Amino acid sequence: MTNPDGSVVRLEGIHKWFGDNHVLRGIDFSLDPGDVQVVVGPSGGGKSTLLRCVNLLELPSQGEVWFNGQDITDVRTDLNGVRTKIGIVFQAFNLFPHKTALQNVMLPLLKVLNIDPREADVLAREQLARVKVGEKADAYPGALSGGQQQRVAIARALAMKPELMLFDEVTSALDPELVGDVLQVMKDLAAEGMTMMVVTHEMGFAREVGSSMVFMDGGVIVEQGDPRKMFANPESDRLKQFFSQIL
Amino acid sequence: MALVLSGICVIQFAYNIWGGPISQACLDRGIIPLTPNPNGPSHGSEGALGVCHIVEGLTSVVQRATLVLALALGALVVVVGFASYRRMRTRRQRDHVITGAVFGLQAINFGVLLLIFASGTPEKAVSQYLNIHALQGYGPVILRGMKLTLELAVGSELLGIAIGLPLALLVISQRRAVRAPARFYINLFRGTPLLVQLSFGYYGINLGLGMHNSTFTIAMIVLGLNAGAYLSEVFRAGIQSIERGQMEAARSVGMTYLQAMRYAIVPQAVRRVIPPLLNEYVILIKDTSLVVIIGELLGHFELFAAGQQGYSDTYSATFFVAIAIGYLIITLPMIGVVNLVERRLRSGLVTISTQGGG
Repeated sequence: MTNPDGSVVRLEGIHKWFGDNHVLRGIDFSLDPGDVQVVVGPSGGGKSTLLRCVNLLELPSQGEVWFNGQDITDVRTDLNGVRTKIGIVFQAFNLFPHKTALQNVMLPLLKVLNIDPREADVLAREQLARVKVGEKADAYPGALSGGQQQRVAIARALAMKPELMLFDEVTSALDPELVGDVLQVMKDLAAEGMTMMVVTHEMGFAREVGSSMVFMDGGVIVEQGDPRKMFANPESDRLKQFFSQIL
Repeated sequence: MALVLSGICVIQFAYNIWGGPISQACLDRGIIPLTPNPNGPSHGSEGALGVCHIVEGLTSVVQRATLVLALALGALVVVVGFASYRRMRTRRQRDHVITGAVFGLQAINFGVLLLIFASGTPEKAVSQYLNIHALQGYGPVILRGMKLTLELAVGSELLGIAIGLPLALLVISQRRAVRAPARFYINLFRGTPLLVQLSFGYYGINLGLGMHNSTFTIAMIVLGLNAGAYLSEVFRAGIQSIERGQMEAARSVGMTYLQAMRYAIVPQAVRRVIPPLLNEYVILIKDTSLVVIIGELLGHFELFAAGQQGYSDTYSATFFVAIAIGYLIITLPMIGVVNLVERRLRSGLVTISTQGGG
């Protein structure tokens, strides 16, 4: 597959309507390998919708999504194949409640990648250990804390060996004291060079870990750049106002 | 202390009142066989003695006296109970007093009903409904009827599940072309009487087209097709009750729609619909009685047909009482299981996952 600009993911002119509601109004950006793009902005600004457009959980009404040089908005694309290379972690965890932590991680390995059960077991345990919930392998999601559930969800996504990880407000549903563990896992992941796109309200994480930052409001990218510079010197009035409200 | 005692006393009274008429009647029944009463139903029909005993018990002076006493005590308890419950010191005592008063009320109701019944012509009713002797010799027929009813219900329930689950998957399809035929099937079977479906299946298709299936086979197929329509609606509701995030999580790791359904959605949905599923099963058990219109099954009767046969032989409605009890023996445990499963599911074995926004 030709990939002229070497980007992992590139969005071109993305628009999204929900009925009459124009949620995304022309988004363009691209991520290079190893980028950690944080997306911040007020609620209802289209951040989550944008993230979900990247793996086509939401179909863009207009525009193209390119993944590794392939236009995945083309209907002829093997979307299921592409999705195995894009991991996503949700705000609500979305673990399968009828399966144990280990089974949650193993299921896609067995059914999508058709890996032999013994090998899948080893791989799944490796991933659970990587996010530090190895000892909870046989627990059902209902018996785990929110932070543990979210780390199992991350392990489930990582087990597929994705080339891009999407995080959709993954700490928003957690008790404050559980947020740290999940953020630590994400920091480690960034340090290992994973390409990531992170929608978050954790400004500390955005400043510290983000290699680039996007500020979204009203369905458009208002400002983007280096997060440390943006925190120090916000250019637009809208971003200044946003920081003054939350910091 | 006095209050505690009075609370307990009230309950004791209430229990005595409740037990009174029943134990007295039992005693009476025990005494009478020693001096058989020829003044029972005068037709000299079968089972006169048994009927006579019951009637004797009902109309005996002792019974009446007990009932009157019970009424008086019941009224007293109700008055005392409702007058004093506000003065009870603990919630527990208060509950006891109120329970006692309620028992008193029930005793009054029951007693008055029995008195009215006994003051009329109880022998008629008893000989019609409680003529145990008329049932003699029909025991095996009724038992075999119960067995056949159960077999029919289990068979058609399984067939119904086999039809209902795939049907539910078709009905929730995004494509109208897929939905439409499934909807048509469901509406057809839910919109026409089972009696018509059974008649058409047996007379119209089996006999009409010269096929030679047994009535049992036809009954099971038609009941199964019918149950499939209802069960598909149960499954559909269950599948649609699973949070959208589950499907998204499954699709996002690269599963196809069908894989997501099979490994993530349906297993959860099936667990969630077990109570309504069992409920449909109870309904199905009762619906098997309609099979009577296509006749004997493999030369035997299902439960309702067995009762009807007994009635037309003896003209005693006791058979209908007997088969009603027969149905209850099958359905009550099922209803118990439904309640148990519901309580288990509600006590937190189900998902806590919530839908995220953004």
